[in-house]
Amino acid sequence: MVIGRGLTLESPVGAASGTFGYGFEAERMGNLAGLGAIFTKGTTIEPRPGNAPPRIAEVPAGMLNSIGLQNPGVEVVATEYAPRWRGWAAKVIVNVAGSTIEDYVRVCRRLDRVPEVAGIELNISCPNIAHGLDLGVDPRAAAACTRAVRAVTEKAVIVKLTPNVTDIAEIGRAVQDGGADAVSAVNTYLGMKWSRARGKPVLPGTGTAGLSGPAIKPLAMAAVARLVAALTIPVIGIGGIASTDDARDFLELGARAIQIGTANFYLPGLAASCAAELRQDGGAA
Amino acid sequence: MSPFQLPESDLSRARDEAATCIGVDELGPNLHLLTLEAATASRAALPGEFAQLQVEPGPLLRRPFSFCDLDPGRGTVSFYLRVYGEGTRRLAHLTPGSTVRLLGPLGRGFSLPETRASSLLVAGGVGAAPFPHLATQLLARGERVHWLNGAAGSDQLFPLRRMPGGLAGSVQVTDDGSSGRRGLVTDALPELLGGVDRVYACGPNPMLQAVSEMAARLRPEALVEVSIEAPMGCGFGTCLGCSIPLRFRGAPVPGLCCRQGPVLGADQVDWEALRRQPAHLE
Ligand SMILES: Cc1cc2nc3c(=O)[nH]c(=O)nc-3n(C[C@H](O)[C@H](O)[C@H](O)COP(=O)(O)OP(=O)(O)OC[C@H]3O[C@@H](n4cnc5c(N)ncnc54)[C@H](O)[C@@H]3O)c2cc1C
Ligand SMILES: Cc1cc2nc3c(=O)[nH]c(=O)nc-3n(C[C@H](O)[C@H](O)[C@H](O)COP(=O)(O)O)c2cc1C
Ligand code: FES
Repeated sequence: MVIGRGLTLESPVGAASGTFGYGFEAERMGNLAGLGAIFTKGTTIEPRPGNAPPRIAEVPAGMLNSIGLQNPGVEVVATEYAPRWRGWAAKVIVNVAGSTIEDYVRVCRRLDRVPEVAGIELNISCPNIAHGLDLGVDPRAAAACTRAVRAVTEKAVIVKLTPNVTDIAEIGRAVQDGGADAVSAVNTYLGMKWSRARGKPVLPGTGTAGLSGPAIKPLAMAAVARLVAALTIPVIGIGGIASTDDARDFLELGARAIQIGTANFYLPGLAASCAAELRQDGGAA
Repeated sequence: MSPFQLPESDLSRARDEAATCIGVDELGPNLHLLTLEAATASRAALPGEFAQLQVEPGPLLRRPFSFCDLDPGRGTVSFYLRVYGEGTRRLAHLTPGSTVRLLGPLGRGFSLPETRASSLLVAGGVGAAPFPHLATQLLARGERVHWLNGAAGSDQLFPLRRMPGGLAGSVQVTDDGSSGRRGLVTDALPELLGGVDRVYACGPNPMLQAVSEMAARLRPEALVEVSIEAPMGCGFGTCLGCSIPLRFRGAPVPGLCCRQGPVLGADQVDWEALRRQPAHLE
């Protein structure tokens, strides 16, 4: 699969950000075999401790999460984790998050100097503190962030889109114009679970959190269909993939590659078996 | 804040196997002993380690349970279950011959003494789960093992006959006095701590905190290990859902119950922060 700017994947199957750590757990458990790419946990300039528990809640055919971008910071990723990726067949693409465009630029500038980083996935679904805006819901901000990152790295830049917008294709076109090599979609949908026993949402804060899992697959397919129709750059399909047939659905729809997310938690061998089965289809071009 | 300073579970031993239900014994109201044929886990699981079980049809995410007892000869493992919600209800109603997915062993279990030691095992309610396996291992090494078991009422006590023979002593307490002594495990604890080198505890978090504090005060030379619970999405360190407050060299650090735990040294837990944390999701 050619994603762009020198990034080629051996298999269309990837593991989605936040569901695979930095790949080390799957390595220990023998579940890396045949994967095309690993998208790491969202990585920020500074270490983040994440949100107070509870952080996850189960809902029918899915889960809600509000992890709060817990990660060790880009410096630890660049100096301690990256050397351990040497020799892996799967490409490691670092998912980048931040509060301001300047944050994204600083993380990407640091990652640009790390040879083991095969590409960057920009998670632009974080609230932009400086402008009080969510970068991922404003086409101009999304394009500006993409352009700013494009200017500081030679690595492939994949922009990960939030589905919590009226017109995802509009955001897709904006980041394509901003220089994105590909887009990945979707990130989680905004959701909430209510606890009647407590008379408040199950998860703390505002109670809203990210919905993922098989429940979102039809929604994600609709979003990917709009992006495939609107864009010339590759689209990586994500959302509720829990079997090889689910992956085939996205690929037939026109996604160049796919990512498995929540299913990695309850089917830890799925990504590897999906990659093997698609290879038998002849899907690994 | 690197969460990787504390020792972590060894994931290379975990296997995802199809396990066949051998039977479910009802041990009390909503309390069941589930026996599964799971050859690999029956040979691999160490005391205090857990498995993630998946039933179909059933909830999406797997549910974590401590290995209760193993029979490597027959290739079976058992779990002591309290029916709580949909996942545990479906497990309790499994019929012989049906299959579940078992991912394990996971987590860090209890440490076993390197020199001759006298151990006290303290259980609250379904917290008895990991102790048949631990007691069997300790007794096989010739250790002295004392058993302190507490529950709300007599029908909720893990049956003594399910523990291995050869215990040096056993005390049962119930909240209502319907069996053994009336009171909490912490009421019976002080007199049992004398001469003990190791205290192993499993039960509700407030009980674990009370046991840890009491042991530190009355028997500071004893090593205290507790098995902690947190809601788990994966069981192997990738979802970051099972965050628990720990201490490393005196400083608070966020830990993962499934990787640094579930068994932790009492001094590794930030008890005050844990107390402020809501117990469950619902
Ligand atoms: C390491 C570990 C070992 C455990 N060992 C045992 C055991 O040996 N026997 C036993 O009966 N129970 C044990 N538990 C608790 C058991 O996992 C929960 O009771 C069970 O997950 C509830 O699932 P449910 O579908 O019945 O309930 P639901 O209400 O459907 O559960 C909803 C959600 O809450 C979570 N949850 C609810 N209660 C707990 C809890 N006490 N701890 C963690 N997560 C919870 C579930 O994972 C699920 O995501 C253990 C928990 C952990 C973390
Ligand atoms: C626990 C959890 C943590 C996640 N963390 C991130 C993250 O850090 N960055 C990101 O871009 N997406 C994150 N995601 C979103 C997933 O990468 C994926 O886009 C989404 O879950 C939809 O796919 P799925 O239905 O297959 O899970 C996370 C998802 C989950 C469930
Ligand atoms: S249960 Fe997923 S990280 Fe611990």
